[in-house]
Amino acid sequence: MKVDATLTVNGTAYPVQLDPHISLLRAVREAVGLTGSKEGCDDSECGACMMLLDGDPVNSCSYLALQADGREITTVEGLANAEGLSALQRAFLEEGGVQCGFCTPGMLISATALLRATPAPSDEEIRIALAGNLCRCTGYDGIVRAVRGVAAAGLVP
Amino acid sequence: MASVETAPQQQAFIRPDGKEKVTGSGRYTADLTLTGQAYARFRYADHTHARIVRVDASRARALPGVLAVLTHEDVPAVKYGQMAQDRYLFAKDIVRFEADIVAGVAATTEEIASLAAELIEVEYEPLPAIVDYVAGMAEGSPLVHEDWASNERDENLVADGNTLGYSTIVKGDADSAMANADVVVKGRYTSDPSHGVPIEPHAVVAQWQGDKVTIWSSTQVPYIARSGVAHTLQIPEANVRVIVPLLGGGFGAKCDFHFEAHVAALAKAAGRPVKLVFSRREEFVAIDHRREGMVLEFETGVRRDGSIVARKARLVLDKGAYCGEGGFLAQMAAMHACGPYKMEHVFVESYLNYSTTQPSASVRAPAAPQVCWALEQHVDEVARAIDLDPLEFRRRTLIADGDEGPTKQVFDHIAIKETLERAAELIGYGEELPDGEAIGFSCGWWPSFSSNAGAYVQLNPDGSGTIVTGAQENGTGAVMAMPAYVAEVLGMRPSDFQILYQDTDAAPWDMGSAGSQTTFNAVRAVLDAADDVRNQLLDAAAEQLEAARDDLEIVEGSVRVKGSPDHAVTVAEIAASTTIHGKGAGPLPDSPPVEAASCVGRLGFESFLAPQLFTHAARVKVDRETGVVRVLQVAAVHDSGRILNKIGADGQVYGGIAMGIGMALSEGTLLDEQGRQRNPHLLDYKLVTSADGPAMDIEWVEIDTPNAGPNGSKGVGEPPCVPTAGAVANAITAVIGTPVRELPMTPERVWRAVRERATQEGDAR
Repeated sequence: MKVDATLTVNGTAYPVQLDPHISLLRAVREAVGLTGSKEGCDDSECGACMMLLDGDPVNSCSYLALQADGREITTVEGLANAEGLSALQRAFLEEGGVQCGFCTPGMLISATALLRATPAPSDEEIRIALAGNLCRCTGYDGIVRAVRGVAAAGLVP
Repeated sequence: MASVETAPQQQAFIRPDGKEKVTGSGRYTADLTLTGQAYARFRYADHTHARIVRVDASRARALPGVLAVLTHEDVPAVKYGQMAQDRYLFAKDIVRFEADIVAGVAATTEEIASLAAELIEVEYEPLPAIVDYVAGMAEGSPLVHEDWASNERDENLVADGNTLGYSTIVKGDADSAMANADVVVKGRYTSDPSHGVPIEPHAVVAQWQGDKVTIWSSTQVPYIARSGVAHTLQIPEANVRVIVPLLGGGFGAKCDFHFEAHVAALAKAAGRPVKLVFSRREEFVAIDHRREGMVLEFETGVRRDGSIVARKARLVLDKGAYCGEGGFLAQMAAMHACGPYKMEHVFVESYLNYSTTQPSASVRAPAAPQVCWALEQHVDEVARAIDLDPLEFRRRTLIADGDEGPTKQVFDHIAIKETLERAAELIGYGEELPDGEAIGFSCGWWPSFSSNAGAYVQLNPDGSGTIVTGAQENGTGAVMAMPAYVAEVLGMRPSDFQILYQDTDAAPWDMGSAGSQTTFNAVRAVLDAADDVRNQLLDAAAEQLEAARDDLEIVEGSVRVKGSPDHAVTVAEIAASTTIHGKGAGPLPDSPPVEAASCVGRLGFESFLAPQLFTHAARVKVDRETGVVRVLQVAAVHDSGRILNKIGADGQVYGGIAMGIGMALSEGTLLDEQGRQRNPHLLDYKLVTSADGPAMDIEWVEIDTPNAGPNGSKGVGEPPCVPTAGAVANAITAVIGTPVRELPMTPERVWRAVRERATQEGDAR
C-alpha cells in the first residue's frame, strides 16, 4: 500500500507515493530520480548515502522516507550554487580528494555539515567528523586538506 | 614516438571527470534505469561443498512478476576461467563455495526477484568441506575438483590433488649452501584472507537489441568481460558491447569476468533489460576476487657481515574454489618471498591449493602485501640475529645497479637503496621516541606490465579533439591525465579534449585497469596517436601555408612558420577543411632476459620489467595492556621511474598506505569450519577511517628508466599498499620485543604476543 508524501529535495517539492518501508535513499534515487547519493552498504557503515535533513547529516539508507515527509532534504546535487561549484567541491578537486568518486557525494555532505556547525575545525575535528564516511582510494589526506583549506579561507558552505 | 617534455604535474590538474563526480551528475552502473527494466537475483549455494541432487524452480516460475529463472540447463554447457576452465555460469552437479551460483532470477521488482530466488528448491548431498588448504594437500584428502584433469588450463599449472599451481625459484644449491652460513634464521607466518572492498558494489545492466547485447558493468576489465560473455554464451565478441559507466573503485575486486553473462542470459530470457546490483554482503562473499590466505615459512642463512648465503621458503596459498585469472599467484608469491635482495642461493617453492572457500585472485598487487609483510619481519629477525640494525642490514643486502636477482635477472637503473635512505630521513629514524613508540621499515618490489593497447585521437571541425582509448579509469586518474599529454604534443590546451573511454565498441582492446598498466601502455598508445595527428596537421599546414614542413611548429592551437608567427593556420581551420584522425599503439618494451630454466611453474613473472621499488617506514604506538596499535606516521618513498601525473601518483600512495594499515591491523576475513565468511560486512571487517589516518610523507625518487613506459615511467598504482603492513609489523616488534606472526595484527593477537613474551621471560627467570 503506497502512501502520499512530499519530499522537498534541494528546494524543489516532489509529490511522491511511497511504500512505507522504503528508505529515504531509495525514495530519492528512484521516486525523485536524483542518483547522486550512493548506496555502499545499506547499513549506515560507509556514509556514501549521506544527505542533510533539515540541515543535519543522516545516513539516508537507514532512514525511512516517510520520516522526511515535508522536511528539507539536501543531496550532493544541491551543493553547487548559482556561481558554480561550492568552495568544498572545488577544493576536493584541487586537493586530489576525489578519485573514483563513489564516496564523494556523502563525503561532501558530511564536510558541509561540519563547516556549517564548526567553521574553523581542527584537523582532529575534521577527521572525526568524516569518520563515518569510508573512502578506499584517497587515504583521506586530500579530503582533509580540502576541508582545512576551505575553513582557513573562511568559506563556510 | 612522442614524449612528454614538460610533466603535467607543473600545471594545476583538475580531473576531467571531476565535475560530474562532485555534483552527483555522473552516472555509475547502479544509477542506470532502462525502460522496462527487470531486476536480477541469484540463488546461492546452501552448502560450501555439496552435490546437487535436484533443482526445482517451478514455485519460483509460478510467482507473479517472475520473468525468467535460469539454471545450468538454460545456458551453453561450457566451463570458463582465464587460466583454468573449472567453473560453469550456474553450478552443475557440484557447489564448491558458499556463494556458488545455482540459479538466477529476473523479476519485475527486486522484492519479487528475492522471493523467487528463495522459492527455488534445491536438494543436496553434502560433501566434506575443504577449508584447511594445507591439510587439503595430504594424500587421500577429499578433492575440490574431482574431474579436473580434463579441464582446459594453462600448461604451466599442475593438477595434483588439490594443488592447482606449483612454482619454484631455484638458484644454486640452497641446501648445501645453508651449511656455510654463520647464522640460520627460521620464521613461520600466516595471513588471513582479505578483500579489496571498493565502496561501489558490483552492478550490471544488460539489454539485447536483436542478436547484440549491450552490457553496462562495473568492471575494471571491460574487454576481458566481453571475452567471458562471448565464450560462456557462445556468441562472437563483436556481438557483445561492454560499457563501463563511472567506476566506483575496484582494487582488483572488479577484475576478470564476473556476472555480465548471467545478467545477459537473464535479459535474453526475460525479453527485457535486466539489472543486478550487489548488496555489501554479496560484495564480500560472492565475488571471485578476495586476497588469498597464506602460510609462509622462511629460512635464511647469513654471514656475520650481513651477506645472505641462502634463502629457502615454502609458501602455501589458498586458491579457494575456482581459478579464474588467479593461477599466477603462486609464482608471484615466490618472487616476493625473495624480494629485492642479493642472495647467493635460493630455493623457494610455492603451492596454490583449491579449497571450498571463496575464490582468490587479483586484489591490488596480488600476493605481494602478505608475502612482503612476512618476509620483511623475517628480514628484521635475521638482522637481529647478527646484531645489525635493520636499516644497516637492508643497506648491505638490497639490490643495486648491476646486481643479480633471484632468477639471475640483472638489474639496472633502480633506486631502492635511495628509497630506504630517504624514508629513514623522513621518519626521523634514530631520534629518541617516547615509551611505547617505535619505527619499522619494509622494502619491496613490483613489476611493470607490458601489454597491447591502442588509441585514436580525432579532431573535430571546431578544433576540439576526442581521445578514444580502451583504457579503464578506476579512479586513479591515469585516463584522466590523457588530455594533458595529448595537448602538449599538439600545442593545444587539455580542455580542448574530451575522452571516449570504457566502451569496447569504441576503442581497440586494452588489458583494463589491472597490473598498474594504464599509463605504462595506454598512454604510450595515446601519445603514438597524438604523434600521428601532429604529422597530419603539419602535412596539411605545409600545403596550406606553402611552407616546408620542417619549418613549422604548433603553438597555442595554431600551426605557424617558425620565426613568422603571422604566417599561420589554426588547428580548427585545418580540422574543418580536412579529416584529421590519428591512431597509435606504440612499441612494447622488451621483457628482460633471465636464466630461470631451473624454475618451474613459470607464468611470466620470472623477470620483473621496469620494477617498481619502494620503502615504507612506519612509526607506531602500541598499548601493551590492550594490544591496540596506532600508526602515527608513515614515510613512503617510491622509485616508479619518471612521474608523469604527480597529483595522481601521490593519490595512489596516500590511498595505498591507508589500505596497507587496514591490512596490517584490522582487515581479515574470518571463516567458520564450513568455510563460510563470519564477517562479510563493514561493521566487523574494518576499513581505515579518516580518524585512524596517520601523518603521511611521500616522496618519489625519479631516475632515468630506459625500456619502460612513456618518458621513462613505470607503473604506480598497486605497490603503495604492499610494504606498509611489514613496516607496521616491524615497528610493533620493536616495541613489544617479539613478532606478531598472524595477519592482520589485531589487538587480540598483539596482546597475546605480549603475554607470550612475558611468559617466556618469566620462565627464563
